[in-house]
Amino acid sequence: MTWLIWRQHRTEVCVLGLLVGMFGVALLVLGEQAHALFPGGAARCAGETGVYEACVASFRRLDEEYGFIENLLAGFYLVPVVIGAFLGAPLLARELEDGTWQLAWTQAVPRMRWLAAKLAALAGVTVALTGMFTAVLTWFRQPFDAWEGRFQYDAFDVEGLVPVAYALFAFGVATAAGAILRRSLPAFGVAFGAFLAVRMSVAMLARPAYATPLTAMEPVPVGGPEEQAGPVPSSADWMIEHGYADATGRRLSWAEYYELEATANRAGTNLHQFLHTKGIQEFTVYHPADRFWTFQLIEAALFVAVAAILIGVVVWRVRRRMI
Amino acid sequence: MTATEFALRTDGLGKRYRKGWALRDCTLALPAGGVIALVGPNGAGKTTLLRLIVGLLAPSTGTVEVLGHDVTASTPQTLSRVGFLAQDHPLYKRFTVAEMLRFGRACNLRFDQGLAERRLAKLGIPLDRRAGTLSGGQQAQVALALALAKRPDLLVLDEPVASLDPLARHEFLQVLMGAVAEGGVTVLFSSHVVHELERVCDHLVVLNHGRVTLTGDIDTLLAEHRLLVGPRTTTDLDRAGTVVEAVHSDRHTTLLVRDGAIPAAPGWQARPIALEDLVLAYLRRPFEPSAAATSGAAA
Repeated sequence: MTWLIWRQHRTEVCVLGLLVGMFGVALLVLGEQAHALFPGGAARCAGETGVYEACVASFRRLDEEYGFIENLLAGFYLVPVVIGAFLGAPLLARELEDGTWQLAWTQAVPRMRWLAAKLAALAGVTVALTGMFTAVLTWFRQPFDAWEGRFQYDAFDVEGLVPVAYALFAFGVATAAGAILRRSLPAFGVAFGAFLAVRMSVAMLARPAYATPLTAMEPVPVGGPEEQAGPVPSSADWMIEHGYADATGRRLSWAEYYELEATANRAGTNLHQFLHTKGIQEFTVYHPADRFWTFQLIEAALFVAVAAILIGVVVWRVRRRMI
Repeated sequence: MTATEFALRTDGLGKRYRKGWALRDCTLALPAGGVIALVGPNGAGKTTLLRLIVGLLAPSTGTVEVLGHDVTASTPQTLSRVGFLAQDHPLYKRFTVAEMLRFGRACNLRFDQGLAERRLAKLGIPLDRRAGTLSGGQQAQVALALALAKRPDLLVLDEPVASLDPLARHEFLQVLMGAVAEGGVTVLFSSHVVHELERVCDHLVVLNHGRVTLTGDIDTLLAEHRLLVGPRTTTDLDRAGTVVEAVHSDRHTTLLVRDGAIPAAPGWQARPIALEDLVLAYLRRPFEPSAAATSGAAA
């Protein structure tokens, strides 16, 4: 079986391996230079003691010289779906479209053993390739994360555990779609579409609700935002919502806020002063930065669970001889 | 007859797809040894029956027993006793012929690589060619060599020669019959072409509209059936339900009867019937469940 799996899937594995290798090496080389901007390590610069002069200079250079790469990297949120769907789509679909399933399952290897070996091998390759790529990317982004936090979409979605879970999800969708549609290319397309739709809705709707967000509330300072007491929440935290509340803590609608603004303008007083005297407070709903790994675990578990269900459907169909 | 002397037994076998029944109430007992032809028009349910027999499909009703074992068990031992050559003889197109043989060796318990290599060498099929670049006849031969090298006790072939040109068809059947002559393997193959069957087959199963309409040993079937030709008449033809088909011309009536060759009535002439005509007569017959015929071969 090992030889057969390798012979049947070596093209995909080699192409993906080559791409991951190329991008990986490029990121390692560039990342080495970017890391060199921070002799003491980028993490120290984001310490609570505040940002030192040297750090500010380093971050500015990082942004100027490597910012474009960071922007490019955002596109790499597609890497898991490419790896997972590319390996999953042909697993059953190619056998079904060429009729070779009738050849494969009438040899002396029972079909469930055949399926288990294939699923294990290709899911393993999916995890290995995505894992390696994510490790390099996570390392590359360290200085950027120190500056911007890890909760932004261009960080959270390509770092840590979740990309591997995304890849397994894509692998599951592609395999199941291949079993049902019996064509590799449509299966790949379905996996791609499902990946984009599910990833986006989970990131925007489900992810903020993994834990109850914290709320920071403080009176509007007389001098406006520049005079704000401390960085709560800090830039590394994930801000969900921001707005104003009255002295009792009741949140104001934006219409009410604009009315206050208009009143201040009519009275000719400074807006911040006006708000301050009215007892208006500013609130921020946010997830603190240290929830990163909790959120990663929750989201990874979610996608792995869906992948497991999809693989379960495939196993069930093959077992019931519905193919 | 003990159970193991049957190559294949099915009992009340049926398969239902979303569109409806592809096969119903199929009860068969086919003897081991020799060649069995499964005949029927396109869409009669031949492929469904063969896939059920080799365990590729699960039956909706009934059971299949191949060489005394339930096929749904699918252990390596039961799988290795049955060879299957699917319609259009699928191969991994990007594998070389040698890699196809390696696939056979890797996935089977008693694969005879030397046997396959000798067969392919005799046919002049190079081992280093990719399967997809071979001609249709050569691909069929590679698939057959692969199935035979598995050394199955039952070899099932789905329309093996349907897509081949006459020369390739002849060569294919020659190799297949050579393998049968070497002994040890029961061959079951489907076909929608009836002629030539008499020459190569011992046993016949006719399938129409998802039901078995005739099954039996070919020699016995031919001995049991006769054509009776007499003056035109349209009344009281069916003597004890033995008339399979009645054809009326202007002056004559021709009856196909299954009467075990009892003497013909006066004024009627008895003639033997060719296998092809016999099969066609059964295929033309509208289906009546009670008339599903089985013959002496299984007795």
